[in-house]
Amino acid sequence: MSESTAPLVEMLGIVREYGKVQALGGVDLAVQPGEIVTLLGDNGAGKSTLIKILSGADRPTSGEIRIRGNAMRFRSTRDAIALGIETIYQDSALVEQLSIGRNLFLGREPSKSRGPVHWMDRTQMDQVTEELLKRVGISKKLSAHTPITALSGGERQAIAIARAMYFEADLIVLDEPTNNLGVEETHGVLRFIREAREAGRSCVFITHNMHHAFQVADRAVVLRLGKKVADIPRSEMTVERIERIIMGLEDGEAVASVG
Amino acid sequence: MTCLETLRRIVDRVLAVRESIPLVLLIASSLGFYLVSPAFLSPMNLSNMFAFIPELGIIALGMTMLLTAGVFDLSVGAVFAFAPLLTYTIVNQVGIPLELAMLVGFAAAMLIGLINGLLVTKVGISSFLVTLGMMLVVRGLGLYMSAGYPQKTLGGDPIIQTLLVGTVTIGPVTIYAGLLWFIGLAVFLHFLLRRARFGNWVLATGGNGKSARARGINTDAVTIRLFVFMSFLASFAGLISATRVGSAYPIAGDGYELETIAMAVVGGTSLFGGRGTIIGTVIGVILIRSIRNGIILIGVPGLAYNMFVGIIILVAMSVQALLERRNAS
Ligand SMILES: Nc1ncnc2c1ncn2[C@@H]1O[C@H](COP(=O)(O)OP(=O)(O)OP(=O)(O)O)[C@@H](O)[C@H]1O
Ligand SMILES: [Mg+2]
Repeated sequence: MSESTAPLVEMLGIVREYGKVQALGGVDLAVQPGEIVTLLGDNGAGKSTLIKILSGADRPTSGEIRIRGNAMRFRSTRDAIALGIETIYQDSALVEQLSIGRNLFLGREPSKSRGPVHWMDRTQMDQVTEELLKRVGISKKLSAHTPITALSGGERQAIAIARAMYFEADLIVLDEPTNNLGVEETHGVLRFIREAREAGRSCVFITHNMHHAFQVADRAVVLRLGKKVADIPRSEMTVERIERIIMGLEDGEAVASVG
Repeated sequence: MTCLETLRRIVDRVLAVRESIPLVLLIASSLGFYLVSPAFLSPMNLSNMFAFIPELGIIALGMTMLLTAGVFDLSVGAVFAFAPLLTYTIVNQVGIPLELAMLVGFAAAMLIGLINGLLVTKVGISSFLVTLGMMLVVRGLGLYMSAGYPQKTLGGDPIIQTLLVGTVTIGPVTIYAGLLWFIGLAVFLHFLLRRARFGNWVLATGGNGKSARARGINTDAVTIRLFVFMSFLASFAGLISATRVGSAYPIAGDGYELETIAMAVVGGTSLFGGRGTIIGTVIGVILIRSIRNGIILIGVPGLAYNMFVGIIILVAMSVQALLERRNAS
Protein backbone atom coordinates (compact mmCIF):
# COMPACT_ATOMS: atom_id res chain seq x y z
CA MET A 1 0.00 0.00 0.00
CA SER A 2 1.66 3.25 -1.02
CA GLU A 3 1.60 6.36 1.18
CA SER A 4 -0.46 8.48 -1.21
CA THR A 5 -3.48 6.17 -1.48
CA ALA A 6 -3.55 4.98 2.14
CA PRO A 7 -6.30 6.41 4.31
CA LEU A 8 -5.19 9.00 6.83
CA VAL A 9 -6.35 6.74 9.64
CA GLU A 10 -7.33 3.11 9.59
CA MET A 11 -8.61 1.25 12.64
CA LEU A 12 -8.82 -2.52 12.17
CA GLY A 13 -10.66 -5.05 14.33
CA ILE A 14 -10.65 -2.86 17.41
CA VAL A 15 -11.79 -4.77 20.51
CA ARG A 16 -12.08 -3.16 23.93
CA GLU A 17 -13.16 -5.16 26.94
CA TYR A 18 -13.72 -3.86 30.45
CA GLY A 19 -13.59 -7.08 32.43
CA LYS A 20 -16.56 -9.03 31.11
CA VAL A 21 -18.14 -6.02 29.41
CA GLN A 22 -17.28 -5.78 25.75
CA ALA A 23 -17.48 -2.10 24.79
CA LEU A 24 -16.16 -2.71 21.27
CA GLY A 25 -16.36 -6.02 19.45
CA GLY A 26 -14.03 -5.70 16.48
CA VAL A 27 -14.70 -2.35 14.82
CA ASP A 28 -13.12 -1.12 11.56
CA LEU A 29 -13.01 2.57 10.77
CA ALA A 30 -11.15 4.40 8.02
CA VAL A 31 -10.91 8.14 7.43
CA GLN A 32 -9.61 9.63 4.20
CA PRO A 33 -7.73 12.93 4.01
CA GLY A 34 -10.21 15.82 3.84
CA GLU A 35 -13.15 13.66 4.83
CA ILE A 36 -15.71 14.26 7.55
CA VAL A 37 -17.06 11.12 9.15
CA THR A 38 -19.91 11.27 11.61
CA LEU A 39 -20.01 8.54 14.21
CA LEU A 40 -23.55 7.74 15.29
CA GLY A 41 -25.17 5.33 17.72
CA ASP A 42 -27.27 5.07 20.85
CA ASN A 43 -26.02 5.74 24.36
CA GLY A 44 -23.40 3.19 25.29
CA ALA A 45 -22.87 2.04 21.69
CA GLY A 46 -19.10 2.49 22.07
CA LYS A 47 -18.51 5.79 20.24
CA SER A 48 -16.52 7.50 22.97
CA THR A 49 -14.55 4.33 23.62
CA LEU A 50 -13.58 4.12 19.95
CA ILE A 51 -12.36 7.69 19.72
CA LYS A 52 -10.51 7.46 23.04
CA ILE A 53 -8.51 4.67 21.48
CA LEU A 54 -7.96 6.78 18.37
CA SER A 55 -6.69 9.69 20.45
CA GLY A 56 -4.34 7.59 22.57
CA ALA A 57 -6.30 8.13 25.79
CA ASP A 58 -7.23 4.44 25.98
CA ARG A 59 -5.67 1.26 24.62
CA PRO A 60 -7.57 -1.48 22.75
CA THR A 61 -7.66 -5.06 24.06
CA SER A 62 -6.78 -6.06 20.50
CA GLY A 63 -6.79 -4.56 17.03
CA GLU A 64 -4.57 -2.33 14.97
CA ILE A 65 -4.30 1.37 14.16
CA ARG A 66 -2.59 2.56 10.99
CA ILE A 67 -1.71 6.18 10.32
CA ARG A 68 -0.99 6.93 6.66
CA GLY A 69 -0.51 3.21 6.12
CA ASN A 70 1.90 2.64 9.01
CA ALA A 71 0.92 0.50 11.99
CA MET A 72 1.15 2.55 15.19
CA ARG A 73 0.86 1.79 18.86
CA PHE A 74 -0.20 4.79 20.97
CA ARG A 75 1.09 4.73 24.50
CA SER A 76 -0.48 8.07 25.40
CA THR A 77 -2.30 11.04 23.95
CA ARG A 78 1.12 12.55 23.34
CA ASP A 79 1.83 9.95 20.66
CA ALA A 80 -1.46 10.69 18.90
CA ILE A 81 -0.97 14.46 19.13
CA ALA A 82 2.52 14.10 17.66
CA LEU A 83 0.95 12.29 14.68
CA GLY A 84 -1.53 15.11 14.10
CA ILE A 85 -4.62 13.80 15.89
CA GLU A 86 -6.32 16.47 18.05
CA THR A 87 -9.26 15.50 20.21
CA ILE A 88 -12.00 17.63 21.70
CA TYR A 89 -13.67 15.56 24.39
CA GLN A 90 -17.28 15.20 25.41
CA ASP A 91 -16.56 16.71 28.83
CA SER A 92 -14.67 19.76 27.63
CA ALA A 93 -11.05 19.17 28.57
CA LEU A 94 -9.98 22.53 29.97
CA VAL A 95 -8.29 23.20 33.29
CA GLU A 96 -10.64 25.59 35.08
CA GLN A 97 -7.97 27.13 37.28
CA LEU A 98 -5.84 28.22 34.33
CA SER A 99 -6.35 31.23 32.07
CA ILE A 100 -7.51 30.90 28.47
CA GLY A 101 -3.99 31.41 27.16
CA ARG A 102 -2.45 28.83 29.48
CA ASN A 103 -5.13 26.33 28.48
CA LEU A 104 -4.68 26.91 24.76
CA PHE A 105 -1.00 26.10 24.93
CA LEU A 106 -1.14 23.50 27.69
CA GLY A 107 1.46 20.83 26.98
CA ARG A 108 2.94 22.80 24.07
CA GLU A 109 3.82 26.14 25.61
CA PRO A 110 6.11 28.11 23.30
CA SER A 111 9.56 28.64 24.76
CA LYS A 112 12.68 30.31 23.50
CA SER A 113 15.02 29.32 26.29
CA ARG A 114 17.44 26.47 25.82
CA GLY A 115 18.58 26.05 29.44
CA PRO A 116 17.29 23.42 31.88
CA VAL A 117 14.20 25.51 32.60
CA HIS A 118 11.90 26.23 29.67
CA TRP A 119 10.49 29.67 30.34
CA MET A 120 7.25 30.32 28.47
CA ASP A 121 7.19 32.88 25.71
CA ARG A 122 4.27 34.80 27.16
CA THR A 123 4.22 37.54 24.56
CA GLN A 124 3.61 35.00 21.83
CA MET A 125 1.05 33.14 23.95
CA ASP A 126 -0.95 36.32 24.55
CA GLN A 127 -0.76 37.43 20.93
CA VAL A 128 -1.85 34.12 19.44
CA THR A 129 -4.60 33.75 22.04
CA GLU A 130 -6.11 37.16 21.23
CA GLU A 131 -6.03 36.33 17.52
CA LEU A 132 -7.71 32.96 18.04
CA LEU A 133 -10.40 34.44 20.27
CA LYS A 134 -11.21 36.81 17.42
CA ARG A 135 -11.34 33.94 14.93
CA VAL A 136 -13.80 31.90 16.97
CA GLY A 137 -15.79 35.06 17.61
CA ILE A 138 -15.56 35.44 21.40
CA SER A 139 -13.00 38.20 21.71
CA LYS A 140 -15.54 40.80 22.85
CA LYS A 141 -14.99 40.77 26.57
CA LEU A 142 -12.37 38.07 26.96
CA SER A 143 -8.62 38.40 27.18
CA ALA A 144 -5.89 35.77 27.23
CA HIS A 145 -5.76 36.11 30.99
CA THR A 146 -9.44 35.41 31.68
CA PRO A 147 -9.83 32.31 33.85
CA ILE A 148 -11.93 29.47 32.42
CA THR A 149 -14.31 29.68 35.40
CA ALA A 150 -15.56 32.97 33.95
CA LEU A 151 -16.66 31.36 30.65
CA SER A 152 -19.98 29.87 29.54
CA GLY A 153 -20.20 26.30 28.24
CA GLY A 154 -20.22 27.49 24.65
CA GLU A 155 -17.26 29.74 25.15
CA ARG A 156 -15.34 26.85 26.69
CA GLN A 157 -16.14 24.64 23.71
CA ALA A 158 -14.94 27.42 21.45
CA ILE A 159 -11.61 27.55 23.30
CA ALA A 160 -11.11 23.81 22.80
CA ILE A 161 -11.88 24.27 19.11
CA ALA A 162 -9.54 27.24 18.82
CA ARG A 163 -6.80 24.98 20.11
CA ALA A 164 -7.38 22.39 17.41
CA MET A 165 -7.40 25.18 14.81
CA TYR A 166 -4.13 26.64 15.94
CA PHE A 167 -2.21 23.40 16.10
CA GLU A 168 -3.37 22.48 12.60
CA ALA A 169 -4.10 18.84 13.25
CA ASP A 170 -4.57 16.48 10.29
CA LEU A 171 -7.44 14.75 12.03
CA ILE A 172 -9.73 16.52 14.46
CA VAL A 173 -11.84 14.28 16.63
CA LEU A 174 -14.90 15.83 18.27
CA ASP A 175 -17.00 13.98 20.83
CA GLU A 176 -20.43 15.63 20.93
CA PRO A 177 -19.03 19.13 20.42
CA THR A 178 -22.48 20.72 20.04
CA ASN A 179 -23.75 19.45 23.39
CA ASN A 180 -25.01 22.27 25.61
CA LEU A 181 -24.35 24.87 22.93
CA GLY A 182 -26.62 27.70 21.89
CA VAL A 183 -27.75 28.16 18.29
CA GLU A 184 -25.00 30.60 17.42
CA GLU A 185 -22.20 28.55 18.97
CA THR A 186 -23.49 25.39 17.29
CA HIS A 187 -23.26 27.11 13.93
CA GLY A 188 -19.75 28.17 14.85
CA VAL A 189 -18.75 24.56 15.47
CA LEU A 190 -20.30 23.31 12.24
CA ARG A 191 -18.67 26.14 10.29
CA PHE A 192 -15.35 25.23 11.85
CA ILE A 193 -15.73 21.62 10.73
CA ARG A 194 -16.46 22.69 7.16
CA GLU A 195 -13.48 25.05 7.18
CA ALA A 196 -11.28 22.25 8.42
CA ARG A 197 -12.33 20.13 5.44
CA GLU A 198 -11.66 22.98 3.02
CA ALA A 199 -8.18 23.23 4.52
CA GLY A 200 -7.69 19.53 3.67
CA ARG A 201 -8.10 18.20 7.20
CA SER A 202 -10.25 15.31 8.33
CA CYS A 203 -12.80 15.11 11.11
CA VAL A 204 -14.47 12.41 13.11
CA PHE A 205 -17.57 13.92 14.63
CA ILE A 206 -19.77 12.21 17.23
CA THR A 207 -23.27 13.54 17.73
CA HIS A 208 -26.79 12.51 18.72
CA ASN A 209 -28.23 15.26 16.58
CA MET A 210 -29.02 13.85 13.13
CA HIS A 211 -29.60 17.32 11.77
CA HIS A 212 -26.05 18.42 12.65
CA ALA A 213 -24.59 15.22 11.25
CA PHE A 214 -26.33 15.75 7.92
CA GLN A 215 -25.13 19.32 7.63
CA VAL A 216 -21.46 18.44 7.52
CA ALA A 217 -20.75 14.73 7.12
CA ASP A 218 -19.38 13.02 4.00
CA ARG A 219 -20.07 9.63 5.50
CA ALA A 220 -21.94 8.18 8.45
CA VAL A 221 -20.72 5.26 10.52
CA VAL A 222 -23.21 3.70 12.92
CA LEU A 223 -22.21 1.69 15.98
CA ARG A 224 -24.61 -0.55 17.81
CA LEU A 225 -23.68 -2.55 20.92
CA GLY A 226 -19.99 -2.23 20.14
CA LYS A 227 -20.23 -3.32 16.50
CA LYS A 228 -20.23 -1.31 13.30
CA VAL A 229 -23.63 -1.87 11.70
CA ALA A 230 -23.50 0.67 8.88
CA ASP A 231 -21.06 2.74 6.87
CA ILE A 232 -23.03 4.92 4.48
CA PRO A 233 -21.85 7.60 2.05
CA ARG A 234 -23.52 10.99 1.98
CA SER A 235 -25.56 10.21 -1.15
CA GLU A 236 -27.32 7.27 0.51
CA MET A 237 -27.95 8.88 3.87
CA THR A 238 -31.53 9.54 4.93
CA VAL A 239 -32.63 10.44 8.44
CA GLU A 240 -35.27 7.68 8.58
CA ARG A 241 -32.90 4.99 7.46
CA ILE A 242 -30.12 5.94 9.87
CA GLU A 243 -32.53 6.23 12.77
CA ARG A 244 -33.85 2.75 12.03
CA ILE A 245 -30.30 1.39 11.90
CA ILE A 246 -29.37 3.05 15.18
CA MET A 247 -32.41 1.49 16.84
CA GLY A 248 -31.66 -1.91 15.30
CA LEU A 249 -34.83 -2.03 13.20
CA GLU A 250 -32.92 -2.28 9.94
CA ASP A 251 -29.58 -3.75 8.89
CA GLY A 252 -27.08 -1.36 7.39
CA GLU A 253 -26.73 -4.06 4.70
CA ALA A 254 -24.77 -1.91 2.27
CA VAL A 255 -21.63 -1.43 4.32
CA ALA A 256 -20.00 0.77 1.74
CA SER A 257 -16.45 0.05 0.75
CA VAL A 258 -14.12 2.83 1.65
CA GLY A 259 -12.00 4.69 -0.79
CA MET B 1 -23.74 55.91 50.00
CA THR B 2 -21.21 56.10 47.18
CA CYS B 3 -18.47 56.28 49.78
CA LEU B 4 -19.59 52.91 51.14
CA GLU B 5 -19.81 51.48 47.64
CA THR B 6 -16.31 52.63 46.78
CA LEU B 7 -15.05 51.09 49.97
CA ARG B 8 -16.78 47.83 49.09
CA ARG B 9 -15.26 47.82 45.65
CA ILE B 10 -11.79 48.42 47.05
CA VAL B 11 -12.25 45.59 49.57
CA ASP B 12 -13.43 43.27 46.78
CA ARG B 13 -10.46 44.18 44.62
CA VAL B 14 -8.05 43.50 47.49
CA LEU B 15 -9.71 40.20 48.41
CA ALA B 16 -9.42 39.01 44.80
CA VAL B 17 -5.65 38.84 45.27
CA ARG B 18 -5.03 35.63 47.17
CA GLU B 19 -2.01 36.90 49.01
CA SER B 20 -3.78 39.88 50.52
CA ILE B 21 -5.46 38.03 53.39
CA PRO B 22 -2.30 36.60 54.91
CA LEU B 23 -0.63 39.97 54.38
CA VAL B 24 -3.42 41.76 56.25
CA LEU B 25 -3.26 39.12 59.00
CA LEU B 26 0.51 39.55 59.23
CA ILE B 27 0.29 43.33 59.54
CA ALA B 28 -2.55 43.13 62.06
CA SER B 29 -0.91 40.51 64.27
CA SER B 30 2.47 42.27 64.16
CA LEU B 31 0.81 45.51 65.17
CA GLY B 32 -0.98 43.75 68.02
CA PHE B 33 2.19 42.13 69.32
CA TYR B 34 4.05 45.42 69.01
CA LEU B 35 1.43 47.29 71.02
CA VAL B 36 1.54 44.75 73.84
CA SER B 37 5.29 44.28 73.70
CA PRO B 38 7.36 46.83 71.73
CA ALA B 39 10.32 44.45 71.89
CA PHE B 40 8.56 42.45 69.15
CA LEU B 41 9.88 44.75 66.45
CA SER B 42 13.33 45.23 67.97
CA PRO B 43 16.22 44.34 65.62
CA MET B 44 17.33 41.60 67.97
CA ASN B 45 13.96 39.91 68.06
CA LEU B 46 13.51 40.26 64.31
CA SER B 47 16.87 38.70 63.48
CA ASN B 48 16.12 35.98 66.02
CA MET B 49 12.78 35.35 64.34
CA PHE B 50 14.28 35.28 60.86
CA ALA B 51 16.95 32.81 62.00
CA PHE B 52 14.18 30.23 62.49
CA ILE B 53 12.34 30.99 59.26
CA PRO B 54 14.41 29.21 56.59
CA GLU B 55 14.30 25.69 57.97
CA LEU B 56 10.52 25.41 57.98
CA GLY B 57 10.29 27.88 55.12
CA ILE B 58 12.30 25.78 52.68
CA ILE B 59 10.00 22.83 53.37
CA ALA B 60 6.93 25.03 53.00
CA LEU B 61 8.11 26.11 49.53
CA GLY B 62 8.31 22.49 48.40
CA MET B 63 4.96 21.76 50.03
CA THR B 64 3.41 24.61 48.02
CA MET B 65 4.53 22.96 44.78
CA LEU B 66 3.13 19.59 45.90
CA LEU B 67 -0.19 21.07 47.04
CA THR B 68 -0.50 22.91 43.74
CA ALA B 69 -0.10 19.57 41.96
CA GLY B 70 -2.87 18.15 44.18
CA VAL B 71 -0.83 16.06 46.64
CA PHE B 72 1.08 16.59 49.88
CA ASP B 73 3.86 14.98 51.88
CA LEU B 74 3.60 14.05 55.56
CA SER B 75 7.06 12.45 55.64
CA VAL B 76 8.98 15.74 55.40
CA GLY B 77 9.55 16.04 59.16
CA ALA B 78 10.94 12.51 59.33
CA VAL B 79 13.21 13.12 56.31
CA PHE B 80 14.30 16.42 57.89
CA ALA B 81 15.66 14.38 60.83
CA PHE B 82 16.77 11.24 59.00
CA ALA B 83 18.97 12.68 56.23
CA PRO B 84 21.35 14.70 58.45
CA LEU B 85 21.37 11.88 60.99
CA LEU B 86 22.51 9.48 58.26
CA THR B 87 25.06 11.98 56.94
CA TYR B 88 26.69 12.67 60.29
CA THR B 89 26.53 9.03 61.40
CA ILE B 90 28.62 8.15 58.37
CA VAL B 91 31.01 11.03 59.04
CA ASN B 92 31.42 10.22 62.75
CA GLN B 93 31.48 6.45 62.62
CA VAL B 94 32.87 5.52 59.19
CA GLY B 95 35.12 8.52 58.79
CA ILE B 96 33.93 9.46 55.29
CA PRO B 97 34.42 13.16 54.40
CA LEU B 98 31.37 15.37 54.95
CA GLU B 99 30.95 16.26 51.26
CA LEU B 100 30.51 12.61 50.33
CA ALA B 101 28.32 11.86 53.33
CA MET B 102 26.10 14.80 52.37
CA LEU B 103 25.61 13.29 48.94
CA VAL B 104 24.64 10.00 50.58
CA GLY B 105 22.13 11.83 52.79
CA PHE B 106 20.60 13.68 49.82
CA ALA B 107 20.48 10.50 47.74
CA ALA B 108 18.71 8.62 50.53
CA ALA B 109 16.18 11.44 50.87
CA MET B 110 15.54 11.56 47.15
CA LEU B 111 15.06 7.80 47.09
CA ILE B 112 12.39 8.23 49.76
CA GLY B 113 10.76 10.90 47.59
CA LEU B 114 10.94 8.63 44.57
CA ILE B 115 9.22 5.82 46.44
CA ASN B 116 6.53 8.25 47.65
CA GLY B 117 6.00 9.43 44.08
CA LEU B 118 5.86 5.96 42.58
CA LEU B 119 3.40 4.69 45.18
CA VAL B 120 1.12 7.69 44.67
CA THR B 121 1.15 7.67 40.85
CA LYS B 122 1.80 4.10 39.75
CA VAL B 123 0.14 2.16 42.56
CA GLY B 124 -2.54 4.81 42.97
CA ILE B 125 -2.65 5.21 46.75
CA SER B 126 -3.59 8.64 48.11
CA SER B 127 -0.64 10.81 49.06
CA PHE B 128 -2.06 11.09 52.59
CA LEU B 129 -1.74 7.35 53.21
CA VAL B 130 1.54 6.86 51.35
CA THR B 131 3.39 9.64 53.11
CA LEU B 132 1.82 8.87 56.50
CA GLY B 133 3.24 5.36 56.18
CA MET B 134 6.55 6.72 54.94
CA MET B 135 6.72 9.11 57.89
CA LEU B 136 6.51 6.15 60.31
CA VAL B 137 9.04 4.10 58.35
CA VAL B 138 11.62 6.89 58.07
CA ARG B 139 11.15 8.12 61.63
CA GLY B 140 11.46 4.55 62.90
CA LEU B 141 14.53 3.92 60.79
CA GLY B 142 16.25 7.02 62.20
CA LEU B 143 15.46 6.05 65.80
CA TYR B 144 16.59 2.46 65.24
CA MET B 145 19.79 3.50 63.47
CA SER B 146 20.73 5.97 66.19
CA ALA B 147 19.30 4.06 69.16
CA GLY B 148 17.73 7.41 69.98
CA TYR B 149 21.04 9.24 70.44
CA PRO B 150 21.96 12.39 68.53
CA GLN B 151 25.06 12.71 66.33
CA LYS B 152 27.37 15.70 66.82
CA THR B 153 27.66 17.87 63.73
CA LEU B 154 30.47 20.23 64.71
CA GLY B 155 33.95 20.52 63.26
CA GLY B 156 33.06 19.86 59.63
CA ASP B 157 34.61 21.48 56.58
CA PRO B 158 34.61 25.27 57.18
CA ILE B 159 33.42 26.04 53.64
CA ILE B 160 30.39 23.80 54.03
CA GLN B 161 29.77 25.21 57.50
CA THR B 162 29.74 28.71 56.01
CA LEU B 163 27.46 27.72 53.15
CA LEU B 164 24.96 26.12 55.52
CA VAL B 165 25.04 28.21 58.67
CA GLY B 166 27.34 31.18 58.01
CA THR B 167 26.18 34.64 59.10
CA VAL B 168 26.49 38.19 57.84
CA THR B 169 26.09 40.98 60.37
CA ILE B 170 24.89 44.36 59.17
CA GLY B 171 24.62 46.76 62.09
CA PRO B 172 22.32 45.19 64.67
CA VAL B 173 20.90 42.65 62.20
CA THR B 174 22.41 39.20 61.68
CA ILE B 175 21.53 37.37 58.48
CA TYR B 176 21.97 33.61 58.29
CA ALA B 177 23.00 31.68 55.20
CA GLY B 178 19.79 29.66 55.50
CA LEU B 179 17.76 32.82 54.93
CA LEU B 180 19.61 33.49 51.69
CA TRP B 181 18.93 29.93 50.50
CA PHE B 182 15.26 30.41 51.39
CA ILE B 183 15.03 33.70 49.49
CA GLY B 184 16.87 32.29 46.47
CA LEU B 185 14.64 29.23 46.36
CA ALA B 186 11.49 31.30 46.80
CA VAL B 187 12.39 33.56 43.88
CA PHE B 188 13.26 30.61 41.65
CA LEU B 189 10.12 28.63 42.51
CA HIS B 190 7.91 31.68 42.13
CA PHE B 191 9.07 32.14 38.54
CA LEU B 192 9.07 28.41 37.87
CA LEU B 193 5.41 28.20 38.87
CA ARG B 194 4.29 31.35 37.05
CA ARG B 195 6.49 31.56 34.00
CA ALA B 196 7.88 28.14 33.09
CA ARG B 197 6.31 25.32 31.10
CA PHE B 198 6.83 22.99 34.05
CA GLY B 199 4.91 25.39 36.31
CA ASN B 200 1.97 25.33 33.91
CA TRP B 201 2.04 21.52 34.03
CA VAL B 202 2.11 21.53 37.84
CA LEU B 203 -0.98 23.78 37.93
CA ALA B 204 -2.75 21.63 35.34
CA THR B 205 -1.86 18.38 37.11
CA GLY B 206 -3.46 19.65 40.31
CA GLY B 207 -6.30 21.49 38.62
CA ASN B 208 -7.54 18.77 36.28
CA GLY B 209 -5.19 15.83 35.88
CA LYS B 210 -7.43 14.16 33.32
CA SER B 211 -7.36 17.16 30.99
CA ALA B 212 -3.64 17.57 31.49
CA ARG B 213 -3.07 13.96 30.43
CA ALA B 214 -5.35 14.46 27.44
CA ARG B 215 -3.06 17.33 26.39
CA GLY B 216 -0.14 14.91 26.45
CA ILE B 217 1.31 16.00 29.80
CA ASN B 218 2.93 13.19 31.75
CA THR B 219 1.29 14.06 35.07
CA ASP B 220 2.87 11.06 36.81
CA ALA B 221 6.34 12.36 35.92
CA VAL B 222 5.39 15.83 37.20
CA THR B 223 4.18 14.40 40.52
CA ILE B 224 7.16 12.08 40.97
CA ARG B 225 9.63 14.88 40.27
CA LEU B 226 7.94 17.08 42.84
CA PHE B 227 8.07 14.36 45.51
CA VAL B 228 11.80 13.83 44.87
CA PHE B 229 12.39 17.58 45.01
CA MET B 230 10.32 17.84 48.21
CA SER B 231 12.40 15.18 49.98
CA PHE B 232 15.59 16.84 48.80
CA LEU B 233 14.45 20.18 50.23
CA ALA B 234 13.47 18.53 53.54
CA SER B 235 16.91 16.89 53.81
CA PHE B 236 18.63 20.16 52.92
CA ALA B 237 16.64 22.07 55.55
CA GLY B 238 17.42 19.29 58.05
CA LEU B 239 21.11 19.54 57.29
CA ILE B 240 21.09 23.29 57.86
CA SER B 241 19.23 22.82 61.14
CA ALA B 242 21.42 19.99 62.45
CA THR B 243 24.60 21.89 61.56
CA ARG B 244 23.30 25.05 63.21
CA VAL B 245 22.37 23.45 66.54
CA GLY B 246 25.47 21.23 66.65
CA SER B 247 23.63 17.90 66.75
CA ALA B 248 21.49 15.79 64.45
CA TYR B 249 18.55 14.63 66.58
CA PRO B 250 16.51 11.59 65.51
CA ILE B 251 13.33 13.32 66.68
CA ALA B 252 14.01 16.66 64.95
CA GLY B 253 11.29 18.13 62.72
CA ASP B 254 8.42 16.53 64.61
CA GLY B 255 5.16 18.15 63.49
CA TYR B 256 6.80 20.09 60.66
CA GLU B 257 4.58 18.39 58.07
CA LEU B 258 1.41 19.97 59.41
CA GLU B 259 3.00 23.30 60.17
CA THR B 260 4.39 23.67 56.64
CA ILE B 261 1.08 22.64 55.08
CA ALA B 262 -0.58 25.28 57.27
CA MET B 263 1.96 27.90 56.14
CA ALA B 264 1.20 27.19 52.48
CA VAL B 265 -2.59 27.07 52.92
CA VAL B 266 -2.73 30.17 55.10
CA GLY B 267 -0.77 31.90 52.33
CA GLY B 268 -3.48 31.12 49.78
CA THR B 269 -2.46 27.80 48.24
CA SER B 270 -5.43 25.48 47.77
CA LEU B 271 -5.59 22.19 49.68
CA PHE B 272 -7.35 20.72 46.64
CA GLY B 273 -4.77 21.44 43.94
CA GLY B 274 -4.60 23.73 40.94
CA ARG B 275 -3.92 26.95 42.82
CA GLY B 276 -0.64 27.81 44.45
CA THR B 277 1.29 30.92 45.34
CA ILE B 278 4.90 31.08 46.46
CA ILE B 279 4.55 34.72 47.52
CA GLY B 280 1.62 33.69 49.71
CA THR B 281 3.66 30.91 51.26
CA VAL B 282 6.50 33.30 52.08
CA ILE B 283 3.97 35.51 53.84
CA GLY B 284 2.42 32.45 55.52
CA VAL B 285 5.82 31.31 56.78
CA ILE B 286 6.57 34.72 58.28
CA LEU B 287 3.04 34.96 59.69
CA ILE B 288 3.09 31.65 61.54
CA ARG B 289 6.67 32.11 62.73
CA SER B 290 5.92 35.61 64.00
CA ILE B 291 2.84 34.39 65.82
CA ARG B 292 4.90 31.67 67.52
CA ASN B 293 7.46 34.27 68.46
CA GLY B 294 4.91 36.91 69.46
CA ILE B 295 2.80 34.83 71.79
CA ILE B 296 5.85 33.82 73.78
CA LEU B 297 6.88 37.46 73.92
CA ILE B 298 3.53 38.69 75.22
CA GLY B 299 3.66 36.01 77.89
CA VAL B 300 1.19 33.32 76.89
CA PRO B 301 1.88 30.44 79.30
CA GLY B 302 4.11 27.78 77.77
CA LEU B 303 1.61 24.97 78.21
CA ALA B 304 -1.17 26.83 76.37
CA TYR B 305 1.14 27.85 73.58
CA ASN B 306 0.44 25.14 71.00
CA MET B 307 -3.26 25.59 71.57
CA PHE B 308 -3.00 29.22 70.48
CA VAL B 309 -0.97 28.41 67.41
CA GLY B 310 -3.51 25.74 66.47
CA ILE B 311 -6.45 28.12 66.87
CA ILE B 312 -4.79 30.79 64.76
CA ILE B 313 -3.99 28.30 62.00
CA LEU B 314 -7.58 27.02 61.99
CA VAL B 315 -8.99 30.55 61.80
CA ALA B 316 -6.69 31.58 58.98
CA MET B 317 -7.41 28.42 56.99
CA SER B 318 -11.17 28.84 57.48
CA VAL B 319 -11.03 32.41 56.19
CA GLN B 320 -9.11 31.18 53.15
CA ALA B 321 -11.54 28.31 52.49
CA LEU B 322 -14.61 30.57 52.84
CA LEU B 323 -13.14 33.03 50.37
CA GLU B 324 -12.38 30.24 47.93
CA ARG B 325 -16.03 29.21 48.03
CA ARG B 326 -17.15 32.82 47.62
CA ASN B 327 -14.90 33.32 44.59
CA ALA B 328 -16.08 30.05 43.04
CA SER B 329 -19.73 31.15 43.01
N1 LIG C 1 -14.17 2.63 32.07
C1 LIG C 1 -15.17 1.78 31.78
N2 LIG C 1 -15.38 0.68 32.54
C2 LIG C 1 -16.38 -0.18 32.26
N3 LIG C 1 -17.22 -0.03 31.24
C3 LIG C 1 -17.06 1.04 30.44
C4 LIG C 1 -16.03 2.00 30.66
N4 LIG C 1 -16.10 2.95 29.70
C5 LIG C 1 -17.14 2.60 28.92
N5 LIG C 1 -17.72 1.46 29.36
C6 LIG C 1 -18.86 0.77 28.73
O1 LIG C 1 -18.61 0.68 27.35
C7 LIG C 1 -19.81 0.92 26.62
C8 LIG C 1 -19.58 2.00 25.59
O2 LIG C 1 -19.39 3.25 26.23
P1 LIG C 1 -19.11 4.61 25.44
O3 LIG C 1 -18.80 5.65 26.43
O4 LIG C 1 -18.13 4.33 24.38
O5 LIG C 1 -20.53 4.88 24.78
P2 LIG C 1 -20.98 6.07 23.83
O6 LIG C 1 -21.36 5.45 22.54
O7 LIG C 1 -19.97 7.15 23.80
O8 LIG C 1 -22.29 6.57 24.57
P3 LIG C 1 -22.88 8.08 24.76
O9 LIG C 1 -23.60 8.41 23.52
O10 LIG C 1 -23.83 7.92 25.90
O11 LIG C 1 -21.75 8.98 25.08
C9 LIG C 1 -20.88 1.24 27.65
O12 LIG C 1 -21.64 0.08 27.86
C10 LIG C 1 -20.11 1.61 28.88
O13 LIG C 1 -20.84 1.25 30.03
MG1 LIG D 1 -19.87 9.16 24.53
